[in-house]
Formats: sequence, structure tokens, C-alpha cells
Amino acid sequence: MVRLITHNLLSCHAKGCTTNNFPLQFKDAEIEHREADFNPEFIRGLLPKIEWKALVDTAKELGDTSLPYEQPEMMDDELLKTLHHVLLEMHVEEGQMICPNCNHVYPISNGIPNMLLAEHEIA
Amino acid sequence: MPTKYLVVFAQSHSDFRIPELKSIAELHGFPLHLPDPCDPNRPFMVIELDQEEHARLLAKRCILIKSISEFYGQGDNYDQLHAAVRKNEALWEQYKQDTSFRFSVAAYNHSITKSRQREVMESFGYMEFLGRIDLKSPTIVLGCYEEYGDTRGKEFSNKVVDGQFRQVYFGRLIEEGSARALISRFDVKKRAYFGNTSMEAEISLLMANQCLARPGSLVYDPFMGTGSMAYPTSHFGSFVVGSDIDGRQMRGKGKQPTPGVLRAAAQYGTAHRIVDLLTFDVTRNPWRCGGLFDAIVTDPPYGVRAGAKRLGRRRSPTPKQLEAYLEHQAAPRPADQPYIPPTKPYELSELARDLVVLARYLLKPEGRLVFFLPTVNDEYEDVDIYTMLCEGMELIANSLQDFGSWGRRLVTIKKITSDIYPIPFSDNSGQSQSTAQHEPAHKDFREKYFQGFRKGSTSLYDGVVQ
Repeated sequence: MVRLITHNLLSCHAKGCTTNNFPLQFKDAEIEHREADFNPEFIRGLLPKIEWKALVDTAKELGDTSLPYEQPEMMDDELLKTLHHVLLEMHVEEGQMICPNCNHVYPISNGIPNMLLAEHEIA
Repeated sequence: MPTKYLVVFAQSHSDFRIPELKSIAELHGFPLHLPDPCDPNRPFMVIELDQEEHARLLAKRCILIKSISEFYGQGDNYDQLHAAVRKNEALWEQYKQDTSFRFSVAAYNHSITKSRQREVMESFGYMEFLGRIDLKSPTIVLGCYEEYGDTRGKEFSNKVVDGQFRQVYFGRLIEEGSARALISRFDVKKRAYFGNTSMEAEISLLMANQCLARPGSLVYDPFMGTGSMAYPTSHFGSFVVGSDIDGRQMRGKGKQPTPGVLRAAAQYGTAHRIVDLLTFDVTRNPWRCGGLFDAIVTDPPYGVRAGAKRLGRRRSPTPKQLEAYLEHQAAPRPADQPYIPPTKPYELSELARDLVVLARYLLKPEGRLVFFLPTVNDEYEDVDIYTMLCEGMELIANSLQDFGSWGRRLVTIKKITSDIYPIPFSDNSGQSQSTAQHEPAHKDFREKYFQGFRKGSTSLYDGVVQ
């Protein structure tokens, strides 16, 4: 945790921050790899919700370049396994996620990101 | 052709029996025919299923099933029973010749003496089973169940009399309910991490069944707390995401770096299916889009042990306070003292309505919202639940766990639309967009609880028994 599947589904939600607020950028990320059961149907079901470019860019930032730049139309088993690894087996345990738009910092501690907003960031 | 099966239920949570049967039939995608009329308060029920395999699937997954048998007959007395069983000879004649067998005679609300058990067994002599009697590992087990009336709270003279049962049932055992063993496996006391608000194992398993937890489904708990719902759901194969406004509940005390929820999940071998834990206020959530989850399952805090909270202040700060706050906010902070934003209470009926609207946004079509709602039994009306719903969300189950003057209702709501709805709380004001005219019994539940549910009482101590 934070896994890239979750990271791909989060955007900055501070007051007034509505454009260019995704994907959040990792900083000082400490990564752990942990095996997870491969479930191809689960990965397939997720694909419509995944922003491909954001996923590829973020994986690259974290040192994983196994995904192709363009989302392939056909998903073979090999690619699903690669996706499985990128989405579910890379965990950011410490570090920060920073909004590219408003620079809000969401700190990650023991794998749990703190995404509470401060008083002046809520309406 | 549908065949009749006799379901023997465990003696608990009778209001949850039918919703659970329906959910598991839907999960496996087979038709289930319930009797009409259908009384869920009785411990025996004759249902119709297309295949014996379906009966096995129910017994393997339903927490409230003790056993399922192929139904051979029932009656008000043994004469009626035997007549019915003889009529169904086509069902059991295949076992006459050389099938090893055993009889089991049991009763609900009563115990039958050994000698009368033998009498009952012998009364089935007309079946002429020629196979070997095998008490240890018979090929088939024939079960006879006498159902006695409920005697709780009755006069001594009205206690049950042996042989004066309400109904007697007979059938061939198909499958013992194996899911009940999970109650002990998920026992909170044996869990590596839990808190004072952790949900008991049996109920959390029932919730996992209501949300159709299955391999590859994605489930979200927006009031994660100590993760009680995550363990059974992930056990059945779901991937679970949890969030909470208070990260301490998910982390637990102590110096261990691994969050408590993950330690407990590791004990059950499902830590890899706890996708992520996040700290945020669900009314100001960072989810990038909707239609994400197959189910939302949660036990919202309702204020007796821990009240629901949301970001904000009870009263808006004075200009002077605001200035001091902004100054404080701008000042550098040591890393070990993170900023903790102010929170205010979140009234239960408002929370419940918000939860339904949020679920409509976050769920996939056909997805389910499963949550507990505490309520005052005397004041509760079904309209309390219906006024909580919104367009596109349909109530499919509402089961009461009765604690006397109050109870909690396990509400299951299904998203029956694939329309796209606007993001709830999109103005980021955190204000509820739905308003209700009707005042439900669960409104201000906390106050009512501490007033002992006395109508119109104002003092905290009014309801205390002197």
C-alpha cells in the first residue's frame, strides 16, 4: 500500500482544485514488492476505469517500465500479468503524493495516505 | 423439474434467513423458490431448487443454515408424516436395496429420549431399507425433526409435552451447513487486531453474504474502523478498499509499522486482498470517478460507543480565531505532529441518506450497498427506510437484529440503474444534497439511546430505571 490501482483512482480534492489534479505525483517513495494472487477477471474488470497514460507514467517514475505506452487493444495473458504486477504488487509504503495543480501534499505513513483536508481547503 | 428441500436453520437471526438464501442463490445464479406463505421465524423451511448441487452451494455458504435435506414429507402428527413419506416413495426407493444408512431423530426446542428416538426410527419400518445400518460413515442419513413451539416467557404449565409438536419433518441429508464453522474462525476475541466497536463474527459474515462477496469483486468500506467487514469479505475472495476519517482505528496502537487491519487480515491469509487503507472524510473523498465498486459494505458509527464525525466545526470560527488558525496552519510543523483538522458530529439520518446517494455514484450497476442502521423499535416504521432511498436505488432486504427497545437493521440496497449521476458533494461544501420531510426513528439515535428511548424525555437520566 499505496498500490498503483488505488493511486490511479485518486485525484486531489482540495477546494477549488478541479483541473490538472490527476495523477498525484509520488515523492520520496519507498517501494515494497509483495506478491498477490493473480485474478485475470479482476484486472479485466478494472481496465475501463484505469487511466492508461497516468498508470504508465507513474510506474515509470517508480522505476517500472514494463507497460507499453499505448494501451493495446487486445489483452493477452502476458500483459494481464504485467498489469497485475504494476497495479497490485508494487506498494508505496512511505513518501508523499503531491497534486500537480495546487501542490497539496498528501503524506504516506506505513502505507496509509493521509488525505484529510485542512480547514481552509474545504468550503 | 424443481425438487423440494428441507432447510434446517440455526437458532439465531431469523430475520436474516431469507435475505441470505436469496443472496447466495443470486450469487451463484440459480433460481430459488420459497414457500408461500413463508414464515422465516420457524426453524424449518421447505424450499424448491432445480438441482441437488444448488442445495449444496447454499449449505456451503449460508451462515444460518444448519443442514439441507431432500424433503420426503411433513405432518402435524406421525400418521400424516408417514402417509406423505409413502406417497413420495419414488424419491427414496432407489436406496432400499443395499445402501448403508443411519437414522437421526432430533427436535427443536425439546429433547427426545433415546427410547422414543428408537420408537420413531422403527415407525419407518415400512420403508424396508435392506442396506447395512452404519452409524459412523453411512452412504445416506435420514433425518426426522420434530418442531416444538417456542416456550420462552410462557407459564410452566404451558411447557412442551413430549410428542406434542407443532410439525414433524423427514428427509435425506444432503449437506451439513459448513459455513457456520467460519463464525469461530472469525471470532473477534481470537483476532490479532480489534477494537471496542468491532463487529461480531456471525453478523459480519452475514454482511459479506449480503454484499455477494466473491473472487474478483471490489468492495469498499467508507467507515473502515478496525476492519471487521474486510476480513470475511476478503475471505470469500473480494478485494477490499477501506477508508476512515480517523486513521488511528486502522493502524492500531503501538510501535508496529504494519497497520492493525493488515495484521488481522494476515492471520486470515487475506492481507494481499486488502487493496489499500486511506485516511479521509468520505463526504470529502478523493475518488476520481464513479462506478468503481461491486459493493459498499459498512457499519457506520452511530454514536453509542463512537459517533460519526466529518470535517468542519460545530460553530464557525470568529474572525480572530480564523486568523489564529491560518497563522498556525502556515507555520512549519515537526514531522511527528501531523496537522489534525477539526471535526464535527455527523447526524445519523443525514449520514444514512448521504450514504445512499454516494453509493449510487460509486457503485457499478447492479452493485449493492449493505450497512447497519440502528433504530428505536417502538418508533420504527418501514417508511424510515424508504425515505432514505433515491432514484435508481432499490431496497432488497431489511433485517432486524432485535435488542429489545432498540435494534439495528441490516439494510441491503441495490443500484438498479446504469445512468450516470452527478458527483455527490461536488460543490465540496460537504452539505447533504438530499433533504427529508419525514423524521425517521433513527434520527438523533445517540440522544435517544442515552435517554433510554423514552418519548419526550429531555434529561439524560430520565430513562434510567430507578
